Amino acid sequence: MFDYDAERFRVLITELTRSNVTEETWHWLSEKFLAPETSAVNSAFAMMPRKTGKLPIAINHELWVEIEKLKPGFTLEGWTIDRIGRLCLLLHLDPTDKEKYVKTIENLFLAAEVNELVALYSSLPLFAWPELWLMRCAEGVRSNIGLVLEAIMYKNPYPISYLDEKAWNQLILKAFFTGKDLNKISGIDERANAELASTLVDFAHERWAANRKINPHLWRLTSKFIDDDLLTDLKRLFGEGSLRDRQAAALTAYQSDSVLAKNLLKSYPELLKAIENKELNWSSLTPEE
Amino acid sequence: MCCSHSFDDRKPQVVAEAMNLDIIKGMKFFDPHVHMSSRTTDDYQAMADAGIVALIEPAFWLGQPRTGIDSFRDYYSSLVGWERFRSSQFGIKHYCTIGLNSREANNERLAEEVMELLPLFIYKEGVVGIGEIGFDDQTAAEDKYYRMQLELAKEAGLPIQIHTPHRDKKKGTQRSMDIAIEHGIDPKMVIIDHNNEETVKEVLDRGFWAAFTIYPFTKMGNERMVELAKLYGPERIMINSAADWGISDPLAVPKTAALMKLKGISDEDIKMITYSNAITAFAQSGQIDENDFITPLSVDQTEKFAGNTVLRGGQQPRTDKSSIIIS
Ligand SMILES: [Zn+2]
Repeated sequence: MFDYDAERFRVLITELTRSNVTEETWHWLSEKFLAPETSAVNSAFAMMPRKTGKLPIAINHELWVEIEKLKPGFTLEGWTIDRIGRLCLLLHLDPTDKEKYVKTIENLFLAAEVNELVALYSSLPLFAWPELWLMRCAEGVRSNIGLVLEAIMYKNPYPISYLDEKAWNQLILKAFFTGKDLNKISGIDERANAELASTLVDFAHERWAANRKINPHLWRLTSKFIDDDLLTDLKRLFGEGSLRDRQAAALTAYQSDSVLAKNLLKSYPELLKAIENKELNWSSLTPEE
Repeated sequence: MCCSHSFDDRKPQVVAEAMNLDIIKGMKFFDPHVHMSSRTTDDYQAMADAGIVALIEPAFWLGQPRTGIDSFRDYYSSLVGWERFRSSQFGIKHYCTIGLNSREANNERLAEEVMELLPLFIYKEGVVGIGEIGFDDQTAAEDKYYRMQLELAKEAGLPIQIHTPHRDKKKGTQRSMDIAIEHGIDPKMVIIDHNNEETVKEVLDRGFWAAFTIYPFTKMGNERMVELAKLYGPERIMINSAADWGISDPLAVPKTAALMKLKGISDEDIKMITYSNAITAFAQSGQIDENDFITPLSVDQTEKFAGNTVLRGGQQPRTDKSSIIIS
């Protein structure tokens, strides 16, 4: 039913929620845990910020570490009290009636406003029956709302574990098209694949032809698939690119298994040295001019 | 909903005073009734430029009847979702009111389903009232769903935004107020919309908020509005554009402010009529925090909306409209 210790997780989130709300709000919320009617869950979910406020959660270090350990890749970073209250409510739904459980949550998605969507999508890795949320996650990736995309893309362990290659590639392409911070996407390098690399290279050529900028992180996803064409692209980056482009080309060549790419990098010893000295990595690229 | 125009009652426009919004530069405006779903991004940009910092989009009739409940759900959901996001990209705080409009109350089968759906939306963040509801043809079905929605508003503690009919306006307005009182609603929770010279006195006398829609051809023109402001003062009076898919003007609020200023109405009075009264009325929902738009893009999460741009602050890029080059 769950792919992690959901029982323990629920206890900790409940404790965390309780410590962040007033006695009165806690009373209101904990009553909803006992109410099995969907309408009670619906209105409690919508009303949450009216009851809890929207301040960031207060949490002690031990609890934080324990919670994040229970679900590797999940983070409480940036969570507000209304969001944790919503998660807490969802964790109290009875998952044994699979059909009802999925339908209840799916209906929340269908009527959700933005902050509700953020709460729902960032809770994806914690739901029961994880394999059933695949389409929902892929649908979220189609959103054009920045916060929703970030809830799915940034430090969310669900997509890495469950999206198939096609859906994963859509997520990454969307991240590039919408200017997301690629460093925050969990599993970005692990799930690099030839299909994605080839689409990204086409995209890069299209941008070049239109005289538009290219996010240099694009190249990191090609490093395992260097062929003659890509080598030409790397040469172009080294030769005509900005410092940021050249750094990206160097990192790409460095990560690649291609002898030709590695030889090319040797012609730029100062970049190679910066990588070997751990001064240059994907998080330390020179900012865009 | 504003306007069932009949296009024949349009008069040819006389050459008007050239628009000059410089005299209201620096003033902030709140348009408490505008149907942005029917408008373009150019409108958002122009509104932001003219000083509009926040707006309310009431749920209304889309110009043709909906045939199923899912269309209502998608519409309400776009008011709290997509449209809110679109607005934030231009630095304008977007609120909405949710309700079953009077025209579609006449489809009783669907109306029943909508009544079941409403609780799912009215408690959402940024929903500042039940609206726009009230009478259109003044049928029995309209009466029924108006009353049911008044009860819903009472239960949720939300203000009510009332659409008054085009035909038989005076009686329709009186009837809307009578029924609200009958249901034990405090008049200070009710905004009566689309007033004119004939209705305003009674609305104010009975303690309701009086909203005026500045809308070409079919509703108030803003010169008449200036006269009304002089006559009644700024207490409990607000103006809106009710801009929608008809010939309407999303800049009606700032333009009218400019005209008021030209005609000697004080800055304080203008501010009440074009900004603070609307906030006072709808903030009774507990869902408006003025800080969200006084210092736009500050602590509110909207600033993180990056949308499909790489720009900071979630703002949309500007295109140079004076250039023939599109890059
Ligand atoms: Zn309207």
